[in-house]
Amino acid sequence: MPRFFFHVHNGHGDIPDESGTDLADQSAASRLAVDSVRSMVSEDARRGVIDLKGRIDVKDAADNLLISVDFIEAFDLTLP
Amino acid sequence: MIEKLLLKLRARDAVAPEEEEALLGAMGEVEDIPARKTVVKRGETLNRSMLLVEGLMCRFKDLRSGRRQITALHVAGDFLDLHGFTLKHLDHDVMSLAPCRIALFPHDRLTRITEERPHLTRLLWFSTNLDAAIHREWELSLGQRTGPSKAAHLLCELYTRLQIVGLIGEGRFDLPMNQTEFGECLGLTVVHTNRVLRELRERGLAHFRNGKVRIYDMERLRAFAEFDPTYLYLAALAR
Repeated sequence: MPRFFFHVHNGHGDIPDESGTDLADQSAASRLAVDSVRSMVSEDARRGVIDLKGRIDVKDAADNLLISVDFIEAFDLTLP
Repeated sequence: MIEKLLLKLRARDAVAPEEEEALLGAMGEVEDIPARKTVVKRGETLNRSMLLVEGLMCRFKDLRSGRRQITALHVAGDFLDLHGFTLKHLDHDVMSLAPCRIALFPHDRLTRITEERPHLTRLLWFSTNLDAAIHREWELSLGQRTGPSKAAHLLCELYTRLQIVGLIGEGRFDLPMNQTEFGECLGLTVVHTNRVLRELRERGLAHFRNGKVRIYDMERLRAFAEFDPTYLYLAALAR
């Protein structure tokens, strides 16, 4: 299985992924990125903060950018 | 082979030499298990229970989508499925996270212990009650603690459990699992887990990477996690 690296850029600062994760394919990597955005934003929301300015860059072992998921893309937003 | 089990039990009560003999007499085959092998499948009929002699194992349940929740971690000296002695099958799987050594305890021999040795039987009952207490603490973490505090709490728990069986060295211990699996204990994705572990490191509390944990400041880590070891029942009492 190929290894994917998920580098997070947001209000918490840049969080480089040093170890990477083995996944079946790029679509599994894309699903994990979206799940992770939802999980992290949910936790922040419980603390009263929603910051959708971040993004996750998914790279391969050779540091090529494969997918970039903006936090805001992970949600259907309804605002007042 | 049962040294770690004896350390774990003797931290909580006396184990008489004849009880130690009885445990050894109940032990059957010893097996070496590679990493990431399921050793008990949900629903499988059981006629023996397994003692973890060496390594790290987990109990887990999963959904059809593939999402997996690790519901317990087991360290050397823990029975993996002593509850299977009375349940006869499990509602969850048991899997090795690292290469492990296990000792099998056939249920007919455990039955004999229950018939002949009431105090030793109570100690085995204690150990399944302890498993349940740990499950309740994990429920509190999963339902109420934030990510960083969940991770900190789990590290405090593992430190305490490993210390009892002599597997801690100078604020460091081996935790031979990857970050995806660590996250599956906490209900977090691996990416979220990375963020949480980075926060613990940046706060100067602890570091987990490549299967190694380093505790920088135990007092502050405990305070941060609101870790109270009462649920691990550490007092030696007549049980």
